Amino acid sequence: MDPALHSPGGSAGPAPGAIRVLVADDEDDIRALVCLAVRKAGGHVVVAAPNGTTALAAARAQLPDLAVLDVSMPGATGLEICTALRATPATAGIRILLLSAGASPDEVTRGLAAGADAYLPKPFTVAGLVRQVRALAAGEPVA
Amino acid sequence: MSLAVLDRPQAADGSWTRRSPVAGVLHGPLLCTVLFTGAALLLLTGSIPVADRDLVLAGLAAASAATGVAWAARRSRSVAGSVAVPAAQLGAVALLHAGTGSATTLLLLVGPLWALAMQPDRRGLLVGVLGSAAVLSVPAVTDPPGALLLGTLVVAAGGSAVHGTARRLAARSREIGQLEREQAALLAQVQSRADELDTASRILAARAQTMTSVIDAVTEQSIIGTDRDGTIRVWNPGAEKMLGVPRPDVVRTRSILDFHLPEELDAAAADRACGTGLEALVHAAREHGSDVRDWTYVAADGSHRTVSVAITPRSDDRGAHAGWNFVGTDMTEARATERMKDQFVSLISHELRTPLSSILGYLELVMDDEDQPLTDEQRQYLATVERNAQRLLRLVGDLLFTAQVESGRFTLQPADVDLAGVVRAAEETARVAAAAAGVQIVVDVPDDGLVVAGDAVRLGQACDNLVSNAVKFTPAGGRIDLVLRRGWRTPEGEVVDHRVPEAAPVALLSVADTGMGIPAGEQGQMFTRFFRTSNAQRNAVPGVGLGLTITKAITTAHGGTLDLESTEGVGTTFTMTLPVPG
Repeated sequence: MDPALHSPGGSAGPAPGAIRVLVADDEDDIRALVCLAVRKAGGHVVVAAPNGTTALAAARAQLPDLAVLDVSMPGATGLEICTALRATPATAGIRILLLSAGASPDEVTRGLAAGADAYLPKPFTVAGLVRQVRALAAGEPVA
Repeated sequence: MSLAVLDRPQAADGSWTRRSPVAGVLHGPLLCTVLFTGAALLLLTGSIPVADRDLVLAGLAAASAATGVAWAARRSRSVAGSVAVPAAQLGAVALLHAGTGSATTLLLLVGPLWALAMQPDRRGLLVGVLGSAAVLSVPAVTDPPGALLLGTLVVAAGGSAVHGTARRLAARSREIGQLEREQAALLAQVQSRADELDTASRILAARAQTMTSVIDAVTEQSIIGTDRDGTIRVWNPGAEKMLGVPRPDVVRTRSILDFHLPEELDAAAADRACGTGLEALVHAAREHGSDVRDWTYVAADGSHRTVSVAITPRSDDRGAHAGWNFVGTDMTEARATERMKDQFVSLISHELRTPLSSILGYLELVMDDEDQPLTDEQRQYLATVERNAQRLLRLVGDLLFTAQVESGRFTLQPADVDLAGVVRAAEETARVAAAAAGVQIVVDVPDDGLVVAGDAVRLGQACDNLVSNAVKFTPAGGRIDLVLRRGWRTPEGEVVDHRVPEAAPVALLSVADTGMGIPAGEQGQMFTRFFRTSNAQRNAVPGVGLGLTITKAITTAHGGTLDLESTEGVGTTFTMTLPVPG
């Protein structure tokens, strides 16, 4: 497996009942930060992908419970991955959280229209990301 | 323009009347001169016998004198003269007739009788009859009396006939004269109209030349005129330069559609639910009278140009629709620059906000790590890092927001917003900095709140900017008053604190400080992007000069106003008004 796909922090393994999370961001530091936040939220990072192409392939192969996707990535954007996952029955049920440096109302609207369950603009707080992941894991509506 | 038909001399009275050569001979002394000269020759040659030499000489002398007077006075219009001369000539004929006794001399009567019969009134005819009778009576001693009577009757009848004819001729002549005058008047009118037409033609030609020279002088914009079916009729040098096709190659032979992308026209037709081709191009101009938008022109070399085209209908001289005008400005580079600007904004958004996400996120992890608590000193250092990261984040946000305002992509998320809560929140945000600076903030807002329609985030940003500005520019010991109250804006634009007829309710938020104030000469620039006052620079007050620009943009987007009053060394008051839903 591509080293980039390994989740940072060397987690020993998923806790019982933990949701399986795909993290995708082309920025290594942000990707690692998101992985840490997912673990703080009690999730298990099954894949940490550095680009859109890898993320889409991993999502189709691993069928995670939640995908945390950066919008702007090489290969495929978070919006394109969103649309592709929603178009396939096997992946249509994956919950999706989009992260983006674009925070304008138009950009948020486009993200949600593409099928995302939540949209979190950068810079985000770790605490805020943890709350979002927990809410999505619990199937709660996200503000 | 001249009319050759008019080019002939006029008479002294301005008319074009003329007398025929035959009439001139008959009316002038020529006939009498010829007749008397002939008689003199016949007498000299003995063809006419002389009975009394003295009478004949007297007759010839009288004839010569009368004829000489006739020549001398031929241009005179005196009626008396025109009767006296023929009467004298009749006397000369009488002397010749008496001196010769020959009937041949009676032929000399023709001249003076003709002249008398031609007179306009009957007086000449009377003189002619009496004179003829006198002539015929002279040799009555030798002729029978019947001849005298018969001769007189013949002269009377003939003279009467000649006189009648002369009168008819005179009447006809007057009619002809009248017609000639009318003709002259008509010709004068024609000449006048011809002159006017000539002048108008020259003016039109001058205007056309002016218009052509103006159109030809436009080299940076394309000016294309077409018929109703799109056939090109006007093609200026700007069009030649923009599209690379010379005028002779397009005028009357090419269509405007030849320089457009068919797929773009099809898309426009679909958008506007109209026909494709030319109709897609001119549909909006037909509906609204004019239309300005970007179109893609295809140049001769196949390159595409983004052109802002103003389309207007064209009329002929009778006001009927004759075609279309297309005035285009090449915006290819400008649009590329705008795209680069958008890309730059996007780049800033991603490249600055993403590392800030890392900085703030990892700081948060370190500072909140309960397993490895920080020392107070470490926490203080990291708090400084976080504060500056937040400052950098605000600057990036301000730059992005300013770019959005400039590009027109600034949108609001309207909702009911309690401004009292916004003001209290701004005070809370600034409280720590104000306390550190030794500045007191006093809040005075309605207890029951004051709701406006607006974007809560943006209004909070605007209020924060005003309060943080006041804190930065107020020295220690100073005071800042945040006052929110209701007001009414009159139709004249004045804001008053009591309800008046036809006034609209508004919310008034004033932020008054006791700071250093703004120099009067700089107050007009306070809302200009990146402007910083001389006081701010001299006192090293932090900032980049975007806060008030953003605050003004937010206020304006909400339909409100933002004004300032300031006295250097005394303080500054910013007053924001926002419309309150009725």
